[in-house]
Amino acid sequence: MKALQSFLQLFPASIAQAHCDVPCGVYEPDSMTWAAETCFKLVEKMEALELPAQDDKHHVLEFHNTMSRSVVIKEEFAQICKKEALILWTDYFKAEHLDRWPDLHDKVWNLTKQCSVVKRSVSVVEATKLKEMVAELANIFHETKK
Amino acid sequence: MKFPLAIYQVKGHSMEPTLYSGQRVVISRLGKGRPGNLVIFKKNAQTMVKRIEKIEGDHVMVRGDHPDSTDSRSFGSVRRSQILGKVLF
Repeated sequence: MKALQSFLQLFPASIAQAHCDVPCGVYEPDSMTWAAETCFKLVEKMEALELPAQDDKHHVLEFHNTMSRSVVIKEEFAQICKKEALILWTDYFKAEHLDRWPDLHDKVWNLTKQCSVVKRSVSVVEATKLKEMVAELANIFHETKK
Repeated sequence: MKFPLAIYQVKGHSMEPTLYSGQRVVISRLGKGRPGNLVIFKKNAQTMVKRIEKIEGDHVMVRGDHPDSTDSRSFGSVRRSQILGKVLF
């Protein structure tokens, strides 16, 4: 085999692409998992913030600054979570996976909807639900690799 | 008339463990292949190598040997006229 390959190297050859999802193995559920975890931590932090006294200007400003930043980052990471889940859905999962997980479309649909719920709300319950949905999809992803 | 044999160099990993990136193969331009055969074909302005999964009339479904392959499951079937030849070895 090695001798044949060495022999064939002597001749000019055209290229035949053997594409994987370019390049192989770039798909992973970790980004979506971290994004959901980030949302959860932010919601926890927001719920724990103490309201300052209205005449305490310094603390009022600090409160609004922290809350605003948390909202912005929560919004951003909920969007990342949605985007990463959709990438797996549209680019990674194939028809054969649907045979094994017939409700895969519904799972992704509900997960991405939950990302929007987490954007709209400040609720540990909703953020936990998103984490669970993400863990379930990540688990399916890992199962496909076995 | 073209010479019936041609040499192609594989680029990519979708045919592993059968073919590895950089490996060279010899094809017969006379054969269009049957299910199970490796074929070289043109699709989306690219020359590709995959395995024939099934043939339905003029539509040939191709698939890579690697689980992460991009093939007919994502880009659809290949027409028989797009097949350049069957891999001999």
